[in-house]
Amino acid sequence: MAIVKAEKTPARAAPLSERSLIGWLHKNIFSSSFNTILSIVTLYVIYITVNEVWHWGFADAVWFADSRRQCFEISTDGACWAGVIGWMDSIFYGRYPRDELWRINLGGLLVVLWMVPLWLPRVKAKVFIGLSTVFLYPFLAGYLFSGGGKGVFMQVMVTLAIVCLMGNTLHSVISLIKGISLPEFLIRAFGKSTAPEKTQHYLLLGILFCSFVAVYYWQSSWQVEAVSWTKWGGLFLTLVVSGIGIASALPGGIILALGRRSNLPFIRVVSIGFIELFRSVPLITVLFMATTMFPLFMPEGFVLNKLVQVIIAVCLFNACYMAETVRAGLQAIPKGQFEGAHSIGLGYWQTMGAVIMPQALKHMIPNIVGSFIGLFKDTTLVSIIGLFDILGVLRAVGKDVTWLGLHIEPLVFGALLFFLICFAMSKYSRHLEVKFSTGLKNMTPNKRNKS
Amino acid sequence: MTDTKVSIGREQLTSAASNEVIIEMNKVNKWYDDFHVLKDIDLVVRKGERIVVCGPSGSGKSTLIRCLNNLEEHQEGEIVVDGITLDKNLKHIDHIRTEVGMVFQSFNLFPHLSILDNLTLGPILVRKMPKAEAQANAMKYLERVKIPEQADKFPGQLSGGQQQRVAIARSLCMNPTIMLFDEPTSALDPEMIKEVLDVMVELAETGMTMIVVTHEMSFAKIVADRVIFMDQGDIVEENEPNEFFNNPQHERTQHFLSQIL
Ligand SMILES: Nc1ncnc2c1ncn2[C@@H]1O[C@H](COP(=O)(O)OP(=O)(O)O)[C@@H](O)[C@H]1O
Ligand SMILES: [Mg+2]
Repeated sequence: MAIVKAEKTPARAAPLSERSLIGWLHKNIFSSSFNTILSIVTLYVIYITVNEVWHWGFADAVWFADSRRQCFEISTDGACWAGVIGWMDSIFYGRYPRDELWRINLGGLLVVLWMVPLWLPRVKAKVFIGLSTVFLYPFLAGYLFSGGGKGVFMQVMVTLAIVCLMGNTLHSVISLIKGISLPEFLIRAFGKSTAPEKTQHYLLLGILFCSFVAVYYWQSSWQVEAVSWTKWGGLFLTLVVSGIGIASALPGGIILALGRRSNLPFIRVVSIGFIELFRSVPLITVLFMATTMFPLFMPEGFVLNKLVQVIIAVCLFNACYMAETVRAGLQAIPKGQFEGAHSIGLGYWQTMGAVIMPQALKHMIPNIVGSFIGLFKDTTLVSIIGLFDILGVLRAVGKDVTWLGLHIEPLVFGALLFFLICFAMSKYSRHLEVKFSTGLKNMTPNKRNKS
Repeated sequence: MTDTKVSIGREQLTSAASNEVIIEMNKVNKWYDDFHVLKDIDLVVRKGERIVVCGPSGSGKSTLIRCLNNLEEHQEGEIVVDGITLDKNLKHIDHIRTEVGMVFQSFNLFPHLSILDNLTLGPILVRKMPKAEAQANAMKYLERVKIPEQADKFPGQLSGGQQQRVAIARSLCMNPTIMLFDEPTSALDPEMIKEVLDVMVELAETGMTMIVVTHEMSFAKIVADRVIFMDQGDIVEENEPNEFFNNPQHERTQHFLSQIL
């Protein structure tokens, strides 16, 4: 006995409760009397909070005044933002000389200029641009911020950084306009596109060398005033410490993670020891060790400044955490990927660089950005060991004679600032995740489950 | 057991085997911890020869062929591939891997790279081939496996049969002298098995030295010069296909064949 269905069942619209606003409200907010009560209470609490915040922070707030006393005279139950505004420069730049602030701004501008090509879809050689940001920009920025005489090493690094920045920028502009890379453009401009590869290489090297020499002479003629690191502070200092920490954490973490998986016992043991040591103590301990204990072990007369010690400590600490993140990402890659790569003859570094890492990093983006956000927030600990970072400045406002006792407003402002920065990072991480999931794009969910 | 009713619809190929020995295994032994997987394996493969390896699951077939390109290390005995002895010397291993292509049951394509990039990766990084040449070469092989139109897609967008053909093309792009196949059709739906086997038969016709672990007996009958039956780490029986299937000598072979045929 065969059962045969005569007609195709037509598709029907979903029930009203799935579609309309009323249906949604009914299902999610007022589904039972208990839930209704809960919803009403919640709404009331939200109303009160928002109302309070509105009055304190905006309606009754004082924006312009010369002292806290004046704030009180104008309004007693609003926030005194005037104090925060008065301290704004310090919150951003610490005690950096006010005439030299342009250097910090220029440094910030340069890093943006350096990294913009990374966001432009038509620009090739992004890996180079990214690496040069990590390895060359810090020297240029470091000199801009600290100033003083340049040693030969600094001269060379600053020159390299400038040449690289110019090259990157030119390359990006040419890629955008003409769709070809800078080397290609130069070769064409000199009419050598048919010349043998060797000639082309020499031509490019020649141009590189000439620009290096020219920039070297140019940069040796200027110098900026020295600013001691003790004057660095505020958000600027926080960004310097966390920026270097973030930039070095990933490369450091990758090296440590690979070391931990290495077949060579020595490298493996050293990596494990290092990672476990740093992971088993809190950052604040590491910071204290770096600033108080470390100098004791160093030979007499060997002085590293405190900031450098702190930065090294932050870098090592975060590299160790990142190493575990990277290791987790590596473990998620199936063994078949290694075998596939080996079977076509790729060596260890080629396998890692071209096959394993790109996939692993993709999986790790949420965790990596999570660590970065944690790192950024953790750097406020440096205020405990006496660096005048943003938290230090925010707390100093209330100790200033004119604004004595003004504690809440600066901290609220700081919280907002941190929220903005961290939220932006987290949003950007979502964006990266979506962007890098190319391999999975256009796949039906069904297929995705299978693979 | 895999579906063996796929008909390839072809006459048996004539042997392309020469007299030149290209793989030699002497008394090869391998253990996983205490488990003895390969026991005194002796095997000689001549250039152009096509060998099918079969046997029950867990008998060591994969391990055997994975030793040939050092994806697994053997502990005793000697393996000579293309005149080079496999030892701890990384240069030898790297060289052998460029000469020996391998196709896996699970394809092992690189999901983050397009099909074309999957194919050009090896030639560019290992053979140092200029990109344009590598791409032209890759397109040639994609045409040979009949999917040139998929070049810009990603592996996840292809069917299993297409992915496996890409994997074959990826190996061929390295211009290997020997091809190893480890159950290339076991993960495929029946309707895709034939398209992969067809590509493999065509490859056999070019005179490629092939060692194929498979249970596709129709394929073995058409292509194989020799069928090897493994059980519990031993090569139990070895014969030319007609004899092997019609007149198996060893009782374990008979038992195995009665189960899959
Ligand atoms: N990496 C490994 N570690 C331990 N045992 C393994 C490993 N790989 C395979 N084996 C064991 O070795 C035996 C042979 O495996 P394999 O060569 O994959 O068999 P086949 O391919 O014939 O099914 C099996 O019993 C399997 O469990
Ligand atoms: Mg197997």
